[in-house]
Amino acid sequence: MNKEKSTPEAIKELVITKIEAQMPPHLKLSVGSYGTMSKEELIEHVQKDDVIGKQIVKAHLSFLKALASGEFAKAMVSVENE
Amino acid sequence: MNKGIIITLPRYEYAVDYLAVYSKSIIQEANKKNIKIKELNGKNANRKEFESFIRGLDYKMIVFNGHGSGDTISGHKGEPIIQVGVNDSLLKGRITYARSCWAANVLGKKCMENDQEGCFIGYTLRFMFYIDDKWRSNPHKDNIAPIFLEPSNLVPISLIKGNTSLEAHEKGKKQTLKAVKKVLRSGTKESFLFAEKLWNNYTSQVLIGNEFATL
Repeated sequence: MNKEKSTPEAIKELVITKIEAQMPPHLKLSVGSYGTMSKEELIEHVQKDDVIGKQIVKAHLSFLKALASGEFAKAMVSVENE
Repeated sequence: MNKGIIITLPRYEYAVDYLAVYSKSIIQEANKKNIKIKELNGKNANRKEFESFIRGLDYKMIVFNGHGSGDTISGHKGEPIIQVGVNDSLLKGRITYARSCWAANVLGKKCMENDQEGCFIGYTLRFMFYIDDKWRSNPHKDNIAPIFLEPSNLVPISLIKGNTSLEAHEKGKKQTLKAVKKVLRSGTKESFLFAEKLWNNYTSQVLIGNEFATL
């Protein structure tokens, strides 16, 4: 069976903390065909670790990896003087 | 093939309505340049209309707004408008920009197989954007959504202005990075959330096929 791995609790907690701290209540995130989601809905999906939750976590981790690897800094330098 | 654009503008729910509203600048640019543009608006954004106009008008450029999966882009009510193995061959030889989740993964690759002329610019992940919920019925008044949607508009706008597919692709990506820089400099509490989603759109935008295609 090709089942996707569960997201570690510590990662889920990190992403939820970020959403709770940074997402104002009047914002919603468009997640393609799943619709637009409020802060509470996003947190619920991350907690449940369902398809949407996993994608939210994945976007978060990809960004962190880009920051850590220097990929993000390199990209930012490319538009520094523009 | 004729110089012109077909643009799909489904509007049956908030996310796609935002894409349609923020496509206005693409349509305006085409009008400014006297390039013919056929809008498939609302319920007309369906497979039957799309196939009829693409065969009849034979326009070179297609802009899709709508939900996507790996092998499909949908139109009105989420019904497939273009699908691998069904009608993807209609995109051969054309310039396609798909503001749809994941469509570059399978559809983009498949429709560009053995195609030396056309190209497909799209996304390998979900295309994500925030909206200000208080403006969801008046998207044009929303100050948040354009942070994400205007950089993506630059891809078709650059093509309309005569740039090659590679130039348009790179301008769109560069504009997304500039948006990242701007949101981070703004120093608001949501800056990093915005930067993260812009980064998602930046990294997932790809060009498949002919890098020198022009409208």
